[in-house]
Amino acid sequence: MRHLKLLFLVAMLFCCHLAWSQAKTITGKVTDSKDGSALPGVSVTVKGARTGTVTDADGNYSVLLPDKLSTIVFSSLGFETQEIVVKETTVNVSMGSGESKSLNEVVVVGYGTNSRREVTGNIARVKGAEVQGLPVPNLSQALQGRAAGVFVESQNGKVGDGIKVRIRGGVSISGNNNPLYVVDGVPMVDGTLYGSGTADINFDDVESFDILKDASAAAIYGSRASNGVVLITTKRGKAGKTRFTVNSQYGWNSPTNDNRGFLNAAEYVEYFRTAAINAGKYHFNRAGNWRNYASEQAAINDMITYVEGRFTRYSGGADWRNNAVDNDWEKQAFQKANTGQVEIGAQGGNDKTKFYISGFFNTQDGILVGNKFGRSGVRANIDNEVNKWLKLGLNLSITKISRDRVPDDNQFTTPMQIVALAPITPTRNAAGVLNNTPTTTYYNPLLDFEYGRWKLESWRNQGKIFADVNLTKGLVFHSEFGVDLTNQDEDRYWGPQTLTGNVSPDVKGVARNQWFRSNRWVVNNYLNYQNVFAEKHKFDATLGMSYESTKNTYTYVEGQGFADEALQTVTSASEITGGSGDYNQDNLVSYFGRVNYTFDQKIIVGLNARVDGSARFGKDNRYGFFPAASLGWVMTESEFMSGATWLSFLKPKVSYGITGNNAISLYQSAASYNPTSYARLPGFAVGNPGNPQLKWETTSQLDAGVEFGFFNNRLTGEFDYYIKKTKDLLYNRPVTSISGVTSLLSNIGEMENKGVELVLNSTNIASKDFRWTTSLNIAKNKNKVLKLDGEQTVIRGDARFANSIVVGQPIGIFYGVKYAGVDPANGDPIYYLADGKTTTNDYSLAGTDFIIGDPNPDWIGGLNNTFSYKGFEFSFLFQGVLGNQVQDGAGGFMSASADWFDNQTRDQLNAWKQPGDITMVPEARLNRFGDFASPQISSRYVYNASYLRLKTVTFGYSLPKNILNKLQLSNARVFVSGVNLLTLTSYPGWDPEVNTDYRSGNVNQGSDFYAAPQIKSVVVGLTVGF
Amino acid sequence: MKKALLYTTTFILAAGIFSCGKKLDLVNPQSIDAGVIFTTDSRVKGVLVGTYAVAGSSSLLGGDAIWMSELMASDGELNWVGTFPDPKQIWGKVILVNNSYVRANYQQSYITIFNCNNILANLSVVNTADKARVEGEAKFLRGLAYFNLITFFGEKPYSFGNTALKGVPLVLDPRPADPLSIDNFVERATIEQVYTQIIKDFTEAETLLPAKNGFYANKPSASLALARVYLQQGKFAEARDAANRCIGTATTNGFALVGDYEDEFNTDVNTTEDLFSMQVNTQGGSNSCFTFFSTTTYGARDGDIQVTDKHLAKYAPNDLRLDLFFEEVNTFYCGKWRDAYKNVKVLRLAEAYLIRAEGNVRLGTAVGATVSSDLHQTRGRAGLLPLAAPTLSDVLAEREKELAFEGQGLLDVKRLKLTTDALPYDDNKMVFPIPQRETNLYNVGQNPGYF
Repeated sequence: MRHLKLLFLVAMLFCCHLAWSQAKTITGKVTDSKDGSALPGVSVTVKGARTGTVTDADGNYSVLLPDKLSTIVFSSLGFETQEIVVKETTVNVSMGSGESKSLNEVVVVGYGTNSRREVTGNIARVKGAEVQGLPVPNLSQALQGRAAGVFVESQNGKVGDGIKVRIRGGVSISGNNNPLYVVDGVPMVDGTLYGSGTADINFDDVESFDILKDASAAAIYGSRASNGVVLITTKRGKAGKTRFTVNSQYGWNSPTNDNRGFLNAAEYVEYFRTAAINAGKYHFNRAGNWRNYASEQAAINDMITYVEGRFTRYSGGADWRNNAVDNDWEKQAFQKANTGQVEIGAQGGNDKTKFYISGFFNTQDGILVGNKFGRSGVRANIDNEVNKWLKLGLNLSITKISRDRVPDDNQFTTPMQIVALAPITPTRNAAGVLNNTPTTTYYNPLLDFEYGRWKLESWRNQGKIFADVNLTKGLVFHSEFGVDLTNQDEDRYWGPQTLTGNVSPDVKGVARNQWFRSNRWVVNNYLNYQNVFAEKHKFDATLGMSYESTKNTYTYVEGQGFADEALQTVTSASEITGGSGDYNQDNLVSYFGRVNYTFDQKIIVGLNARVDGSARFGKDNRYGFFPAASLGWVMTESEFMSGATWLSFLKPKVSYGITGNNAISLYQSAASYNPTSYARLPGFAVGNPGNPQLKWETTSQLDAGVEFGFFNNRLTGEFDYYIKKTKDLLYNRPVTSISGVTSLLSNIGEMENKGVELVLNSTNIASKDFRWTTSLNIAKNKNKVLKLDGEQTVIRGDARFANSIVVGQPIGIFYGVKYAGVDPANGDPIYYLADGKTTTNDYSLAGTDFIIGDPNPDWIGGLNNTFSYKGFEFSFLFQGVLGNQVQDGAGGFMSASADWFDNQTRDQLNAWKQPGDITMVPEARLNRFGDFASPQISSRYVYNASYLRLKTVTFGYSLPKNILNKLQLSNARVFVSGVNLLTLTSYPGWDPEVNTDYRSGNVNQGSDFYAAPQIKSVVVGLTVGF
Repeated sequence: MKKALLYTTTFILAAGIFSCGKKLDLVNPQSIDAGVIFTTDSRVKGVLVGTYAVAGSSSLLGGDAIWMSELMASDGELNWVGTFPDPKQIWGKVILVNNSYVRANYQQSYITIFNCNNILANLSVVNTADKARVEGEAKFLRGLAYFNLITFFGEKPYSFGNTALKGVPLVLDPRPADPLSIDNFVERATIEQVYTQIIKDFTEAETLLPAKNGFYANKPSASLALARVYLQQGKFAEARDAANRCIGTATTNGFALVGDYEDEFNTDVNTTEDLFSMQVNTQGGSNSCFTFFSTTTYGARDGDIQVTDKHLAKYAPNDLRLDLFFEEVNTFYCGKWRDAYKNVKVLRLAEAYLIRAEGNVRLGTAVGATVSSDLHQTRGRAGLLPLAAPTLSDVLAEREKELAFEGQGLLDVKRLKLTTDALPYDDNKMVFPIPQRETNLYNVGQNPGYF
C-alpha cells in the first residue's frame, strides 16, 4: 500500500498526506472504454484531500475517502480525467480517450506535466490516436489542420520532406521559423544532410503532441522557444497481461492534380507558327530590323523556316506536319505509386517493470518518377521501480529512413520540368532509347531516373535513460541523459547518358558519396516540489539545469570516369574530382525554473524562466534570459457563478513572456578567413565579416484568452488573442561589395505577429450507440515587418520571384511590377507606371513599388467531424487556407506567349490576335533575337491560392465483443482512409499548397516553380489486438 | 541515505552551473581568425593565391567577363538561344538593373580589389625576397579588376572623349573592419581617374614582376595588359611600345606562339603562348564560357551561344581557324570553349603581335618588326599567305578572327566606335547598369538610361 503510494508520488507528481480520520474505503476497477480491458496505473485521488493511489495491474484500486469529502478524481495520461461523486463504496469507472479535447486531460509541459484545468499557457494537444494510421510519412503532415494557429505546408509532392510548420506566424527573417521538437524531453537535432527530421519519427508510437504556443508555455525552452515548441511523448507500457497490436495497411498514391493542361501537338505547331509570323513582323517593323531583312515578308519567312527547323529537330524524324506524335509529357512526370505499412507493438509488465515495444515497416512510393520513402525501426520504452524512492527508465528507438530522391524543382533533371518538352517529341526513339537534346527541347529528366541512382539512407537513434528520485515529501529529483544520433549517407550516380554523367566524350559517369553524422547528448537535471498548504495553497515548483552538446561531421567524395556502367560506386572512378571532411560543434548551457501556484483551485499563477548560454552568440552577448508569467482565474469555481448551470467552465487567462530564437548558423560571430585553393595550391578567401554583438532574436508575446465549457462541458473551447513582437531580427544585411563582403549577419529589424485563435469541441450527440463530435479550429495571423536596419525599407526578391521584405508589410510579400494586361493596339504586355494609373509597354519603365500579392494566409483552419455508431466510425477533416497568393516563377517559361520553345499552358491560346482584342495574354511572339524583354517578374503570374481541402477521411468498423471473444482477440478494426481526396481552389497551377523547394525560406514563400502537386492517398487497413 | 542523495543532487546542480561556461568558446575548425591573417608571410601569400581564385571565379575572369563582352558585341555573329533570361538580356541589350550576372561581376571585381588592397597594405610582413613579386601580382590583379569594371560599367567609352564622366568607385586602401562603415560608400571616380589608376597598376606591375612566374602574373602579361589599356585609350604609340616590350620579354623567356592554332585552346595547363590564364581543372576553378558556348556532347548545357554564318563568312575558306568551329545539327559553335575543366585564356602572346602591328600600321612605324611580319605570325599559323603591305583594315580583320570570342568584342566595338546590332558604340544600352543592390545601399549613381 505504502509502496504504491510512493510510486504514485513519483509517477504522477501529486502529493499525498498520510493522516486521515473517519475515512471509508472505496474500491473499484478502472477499464478502458474502448475495449473494456483493465487499465493499470491510473491515478486515483480524492478531491480536496491529498490522498490517492494508482490502479494495479488488473485495474483495481482501493482508496480511503476522508470524512466530508465525496469526490474521487481518476486521471491518466492519454485519457479524459473523470471526477466521480461517490455514492457507494464500489466505484467502477470506464475511461475513454475521448475524441474531443477535454478540460481535464493531463498535458505535457516543459519538464513536467499538468492538468489542463491548471494550465494558464496556450497548449494545443493532438493525441497520437487521432493521427494513428494516417498514410502520410511525416508527423508534421499528420498535424495539418488539427491545431489552432499551427500552419503546416508541404512544399511540394515529393514524399516525406520539405514541410513548413509555423506556429502563430514566423518570427524570423533569416533564422529558423520551425518549432523546436522535443521527444520525451530530448530536443531533436534539426541539422541533416537532407530531409526533415520529423520524418524520422514513427508517429504511431506517439502518445501525444503538445504544442506550446504562447510565451508562458514555451519560455521554459528559452532561446529556442520563439517559434513554439512541440513536445512529443511516446507511448509507455501499462502493467498487466501483455497485449499485442498489429496494424497493417496498403494503399495507392496519386497526384492531387495531374492535368494542368498543356498544348497538344497540333496546337503547339499552330501556336509557334503564329509566334514566328508575329516575331518576323515585330523584328522588321518595331525592333529596327537590325538583321537587315529585305522586307517584312522576308523576315516572316526566315522566322517560319527557323521555327519549322525546330519542329523537325524536336519531332525526331516523325511527321510533325500531320501530328504523327502527340505526346502528353505532363503525365510522364508521374509514376504508379503504392503505400504499405506494417506495425507490431506489445506492451505490458508488472507492478515493478513495464514495457512498450514496437517494430514498424512503412514504405511509400512518391508520385514523381523515381521518388520513394521508407521507414522502418524499433522502439522500446521501459520503466522500472527499483524501490520505494527510486524509479529508472529507458527509451530507445532506432529508425532507418530510406529515400529515393529526385532533384530540386529548378533543375532540368527534375521530373516536373518534363512539361517544357514539345508535344511533337516522342518519348523514345525507334530503338526504344529515351530521346534527349537536341531532339528534346531540353534535357529529358527521365534519363536521370533511367540511368542514374540517388539514394539516401538515414539511421537515427533517439533515446534516454532517466531516474526519478523521491527525496522527501513532495520533492522529486529527476535526472536524464539523452542521445540523438543521426547517420546519413547518400549514394548518387549519374550514368553516361545523363546530363551530369556525360562529362566529356572521353569521361563518362559521375558518382558521389556523402556521409553525415550528427550526435547530440543532453543532460537534464531538475528538482520538482509539489505541496498543498492549508488545503488551499497548491505549489508546484521546478528548478533545474540542462547541458546540450552537438557535433556534426560531414564527409564527401566525388569521382568521374567509369569503365563500365555496371560500376557505379566512387571507388571505380578514374578520377576523384571533389571531396571534403569537416565538423562543427555547438554547446548550450541552460538553467530553468518554474513556479505554479493555485489558490483554492480558482486562481492560478505561473512564473517561469530560462537562462541560455550559447556558443552561437557573440562574445558580448553570451547569455540570454527568458522569463514569462501568467495568470488564470477559474471563475466557475466561485460561488457567484454557481447559478449559471449551463456554464460548466470558464477560465479567463493572460500571459506575457520573452522567448528567443537562437537559429544563427554556427561560428557567425567571429571574423574569419576561409581556406580556398587555386590551381591546386592553398590560399585564403574572405570568410565571415564577424559580428561580436550577434545574439538571439527576442520575441515578447502577450496572450489573453478564455477557456470555456458549456452544458456540462458538452461544448468546450478556447479563444485567444495574441500579439508577438520580435526585435533584434537576424538578417544578412546587404552591404556594398566595396567592403569585401556582400552581406553582414546583424541583429536588425523588428517584426510583429498578431492574431486570434478559436477552438471549439462539441459532443453533438452522445447516445448509447451513436456519437457525433465536432472540433473546429480557426486562426488568423497578421504578420508585419516593423523595421529593418532603420535605413532601408525595402529588400527586394531575386530575378525570378517578387518575395520581398517591405517595412509595414508581411514578410515575403510580393512586391514589384504590376501587370496591366495587353495593349489592345499591338498585343504587347503592358505594365503600370509608378503612378498606378497610366501604363507602359516598356517593362524597364514600369513602376516597381506595387504590392502584388501576399504569400501569407489570412486565415487557416480545420474542421473535424467524427461519427460512431456501434462498431462503425466515420470521420473527416477539412483543412483550409484563405487569403494568400502564389507566384508562379515558371510562368515566364510555360505561360509566356511562346517567348521560347517551352510547351505552353493552354491559357496561352487566349493570346492577343488583332487590334482591339481585350485579353490578358500578350501576342504570341517568339523572342528569337532578344528584341523585347522576355516575361519578367510582375503580377502577371501571381494568383490567388486559397484552398479548402478534404484532408482526411476515415471509415472504420470494429468487430463487436462477441465475435472478438470467439476469435480470441481483444479488438479488431478494418478501415479505409483517404488523404487530400478533394481540393477546392481557383489556383491555376497544379496545387495551391506549394513553395518550391530550391528556394523555400522565411521570405521566399508561396512560390511555384515546376513544383509537384501534393500526394493523394487511399489506404485500406486492419488493426488487430490480442 | 536520502539526505546524502539530496546533497549529491545539490552538488551536481551547483557543479553544473560553474563548469559549463567555457564550453561556449568554440572556434570554427574550418576557418582562421581574421585578426591573424595578415601577420605572417605565408598567410599574406595565401590571401594572394585566394585572390587568383576570386578573380578566376565564373563571374569575372573565369568566363563571364568574356562571354558578356562577346554577347553584347555580337552584332548578329552570335545567337543566344538558351532559356536563361539574364544572359539573353545582355545579348539583346535590354539589361535590367537586377541582372544577376551583372551584379556578380561587379561584386567579384570589388572583392578582388579588396583583397589586393589588403595585400598591398601588409607587404611589410612578406619576406624581402618575394616582396616585389607579391606587390606586382596584387597590382596586376587589381588592374585587371578595374579594367573589367570600367569596360562594363563606365558611363561612356574612353573613346567617347568626355572622360570626366562617371567611371566606377576607386578604392585603393584596406576597408574598415565594419562592413557597414560609411567609408565604404565610395562615389564614382571619373573615367580618366580610373584609367590613370589602371595604367599605374600595370606599369608598376610590369616593373615589379619577374619575367617568368609559373601560372601567376608575370612581366610580359603586365606589359600586354598595359598595351590593351592604351589601345582602348587610342594611345597607339604607348600601346605599340608596351606590346613590343611584352614580345621582347616573352620571347627571350621561352614564350612563343604554339604551332597549331587549335593547340592553343582547351588546355588545362598554360601553353607557351599563354602569358596569363585562369587555371581550371577538375579540382577547381571555373569556366563559364564552356558552360554557355559548348554543347551537351561535351558535357555542357544545350549550346546556348551559337555562331552564325555572318561570322564564319569572314574567314577565307582555307583559314585553319575555321576548324575551331564545330557543327551540330546544322548549327555552329565556338570550339575555343569546347571542353570541360580547361583554362580560361586571359592574355596570350598573339594579341601582343596584333597590337604592335596595329600601332605600327597606324603610326607608319616598324617598331620591333614590320606590320607584315607581325601579322604573319598569326596568319601564317592559320595557313594563309603573307600580306606584303597590310593596311589598318587588314590588321583589324586579322585581329577579329584571331581573337574571336575571347572577350575582345566589346573592347573593340567601343574603341573603334562600331555599331553593333543597330546600336551606336556610345549608346546607353552598351553599358551595364550599376547593380540595383548597390544603388539601393547608397547613392553611387546610376548610368544613364537605367532606373
